[in-house]
Amino acid sequence: MLVASVVLGLQTTLFNDLRPFGVMAQVMVLFAACAGVIYGAEIGAVAGLIVGLMYDCVLTTPLGLASLVLGATALVAGAFPYFVRESSWWNKAIAVAVASAFGEILFPVAQALVGLGGWVQWRVIGVALIVALLNLFLAPLLMPVVRWTLKESLVG
Amino acid sequence: MSAISARRKRAIALLSLTSIILVTLDLQGSGSASVLRGTFGVFFRPIEGVTRVITRPVSNAWHGITHYNAVTKENDLLREKIAQQEGAAVAAAASVRLSQELLALNGLPTLAGINSVSAQVIGDSPSNYSQSVEINQGSDSGIKVGMPVMNAAGLVGKITKVFPRRSIVMLITDPEYALSVKVINNPEAASPIGDPEASASTSSTTTTTTTIPKPQATSNIPGFTPGTTTMPLTTVNVTVNVPSLTPTLTVPANGALPVRETGILEGRGSSRVPIVRFIDSAQRFGTILPGAPIVTSGGSLSLAPPDIVVGTVSKVTDRLGTAGPILEINLVADLTNLSFVRILLYQPITEQVKP
Repeated sequence: MLVASVVLGLQTTLFNDLRPFGVMAQVMVLFAACAGVIYGAEIGAVAGLIVGLMYDCVLTTPLGLASLVLGATALVAGAFPYFVRESSWWNKAIAVAVASAFGEILFPVAQALVGLGGWVQWRVIGVALIVALLNLFLAPLLMPVVRWTLKESLVG
Repeated sequence: MSAISARRKRAIALLSLTSIILVTLDLQGSGSASVLRGTFGVFFRPIEGVTRVITRPVSNAWHGITHYNAVTKENDLLREKIAQQEGAAVAAAASVRLSQELLALNGLPTLAGINSVSAQVIGDSPSNYSQSVEINQGSDSGIKVGMPVMNAAGLVGKITKVFPRRSIVMLITDPEYALSVKVINNPEAASPIGDPEASASTSSTTTTTTTIPKPQATSNIPGFTPGTTTMPLTTVNVTVNVPSLTPTLTVPANGALPVRETGILEGRGSSRVPIVRFIDSAQRFGTILPGAPIVTSGGSLSLAPPDIVVGTVSKVTDRLGTAGPILEINLVADLTNLSFVRILLYQPITEQVKP
């Protein structure tokens, strides 16, 4: 929880200010995707749901929506270990990037499903691609943190 | 191992169910969601504050690298604009003062009569799919949900969530934002009402003769006759213009009467400009031209008072039938660079609670 709070703090301050190409890097999505890629679907989903609930508390969207989205993102990312047994760090980074793009597209769709329409636009694809690219570079930095955090809590 | 897996699956199901229940409760406007957010805020704000202090140099370095040229160019442009506007601002301020005095004399509401609270923008929404900012004033300063938020240029948005010492402002560009506005059309575009053939203003000239008494000097005082009530008459020709009685109303083609029509302003996200819909395509309103100003319409049901400047028409898309045109709006407030805002402590009559 404490590590996730620090990551959330980075999301609301540093990454909120730095917006390359007008798009914010989504480190909370990155955290969930990393959890899924490293520890599989089950642990990933639990981590994604908890991290998402924390993210919900600082968003203006309905409480619980980001939790479901990040849970689903981690679940999708958790499919990676089933397909690649001997994975290298760059394999995992690519998988995290793909899962991040999925999560970023899923968010406006989820908003539309609960009645907050207007965000499902073609722009979403561009945003998802940029988020995927940013998370591709950030994943190698965050993966050791996620590995250590979840080893101490959920896995251990 | 299977026992651990089953436990994890139960945890996933429980967390998912909790999330779904929370979404439902929040959409229903339950207070429990606000309580949860507030409680989390108490724990999270110090962490966020420390992170902000630590990461500020990185943010500043990033902005220095990426925005240096743009800021220099913008500064030059702004200096030029300030020089142009200084003179106009004095005249405009005088006009606004006169207008407010006139409105006050007639008992009509003015923006000057509404109390306001100034606030600093302390954060943007940490999401790519929400157009909102956080300000450092809340219910302790009298702010309530729905109150309009402005900056020096014009309307910025409205308050959507209030905490004791902070509030969330939904920006005009958010797809959830909608507001009743009026378009003040260019007078040139206005067209006359009534019979087009008889629309030209007609008048007739009548000459009448009025007799004005001529004073008779019968005393020492020139022009004054003691005890005299009648005065000798002098004939003067006076020309009086009497308008014709043709039953037509003429809106002057180049006159100073702006024509107004109301519509609904809707945000469309950060990448697209807001639009105004439901404009009546009445003949009286004429053709809407780009550049026509848009202000809030006010009214007993509107959350904003009348005559807050919103923007100008940038593009007009005509539609067939009675649907009326769709207007794209250039907002006067720069929503990408908000620092200080003003919250009007205004509530429509329908929202005010009687003591």
